[in-house]
Amino acid sequence: MNIHINGKAYALSHEIHISVSSALTLHFIEPQQSTFAVALNGDFVGKTDYDTTMVKNGDSLDVLQPIQGG
Amino acid sequence: MSLNIYGQNLDSRLLIGSALYPSPQVMKQAILASGSQVVTLSLKRQNPNEQSGQQIWHYLQEIVKQTNGHLLPNTAGCKTAKEAVTLAHMSREIFKTDWIKLEVIGDDYNLQPDPIELLHGAEQLIADGFKVLPYCTDDLVLCQRLYDLGCQVIMPWASPIGTGKGLMNPYNLETIRLRLPDATLILDAGIGKPSDACLAMEMGYDGVLLNSAVALADNPVLMAKAFGQALQAGEHGYVAGIMQQRQTAHPSTPTLDTPFWHQNS
Repeated sequence: MNIHINGKAYALSHEIHISVSSALTLHFIEPQQSTFAVALNGDFVGKTDYDTTMVKNGDSLDVLQPIQGG
Repeated sequence: MSLNIYGQNLDSRLLIGSALYPSPQVMKQAILASGSQVVTLSLKRQNPNEQSGQQIWHYLQEIVKQTNGHLLPNTAGCKTAKEAVTLAHMSREIFKTDWIKLEVIGDDYNLQPDPIELLHGAEQLIADGFKVLPYCTDDLVLCQRLYDLGCQVIMPWASPIGTGKGLMNPYNLETIRLRLPDATLILDAGIGKPSDACLAMEMGYDGVLLNSAVALADNPVLMAKAFGQALQAGEHGYVAGIMQQRQTAHPSTPTLDTPFWHQNS
């Protein structure tokens, strides 16, 4: 299946779907060391739902982190 | 005299942004010099291999701790109510605050807020338990509608973001103050000079939110201090009661016993 994380394409040949937790390991080396929040296809996914929310073919994950703002 | 934001009393009436500073160190010094207790910040996609956002996040946490202040996450970059609502939820999880500066842009040229999406977004966020601080245009009816929805704080623009043009429509801003006497009104965006901030306070505004005017100054730390003083001067002027303008001149010096050169007139 093919998914996008922050606009970057990932091709996962064996899986039908993976959890948000697993998907995050594609993006971060150590997710637990970073401050971030997640949206799947434009909908917020809370931290408590990372293990049970599935990312499927064609899905798009946004992983956002704090930054300066006005 | 303190600024009340959703029941939180703050000593400073200045809300300040954390972007565009020459360095994180200057950002911290400037924010501390301003006396502000509310700092805005945002969420963005970032390269996971770079920790620049993480560094800023640590600095901002230090500032908030040092000032006994508050973070005010924004929804910058959003163009629909749906996007803004999602970003607000993400911000609440990270920053542990239900305050949100609701920003929904309707035009890329002047970054003008979209009033329709703004209302939809505010309505949904209030239903979701957020305390919404909407960034909006200086349209009286829009401000009234936002207030009626439950936004206790309304933030009309002075002029487009980052222009430094100051108060484009003083009449509109004064009218909003007059018609919404119970709303907490914060002038947001377009401030260029300390005198702009002072003018807003003289109109009876409750506070000012700015970023570029400080961050892009030659000396951001000194400018931050100047803005803090300007807000205080304007607030004192408003509270003291500004004299009515008069059409004709009136001598300040008493005319009784005018000196010798008028004796023969």
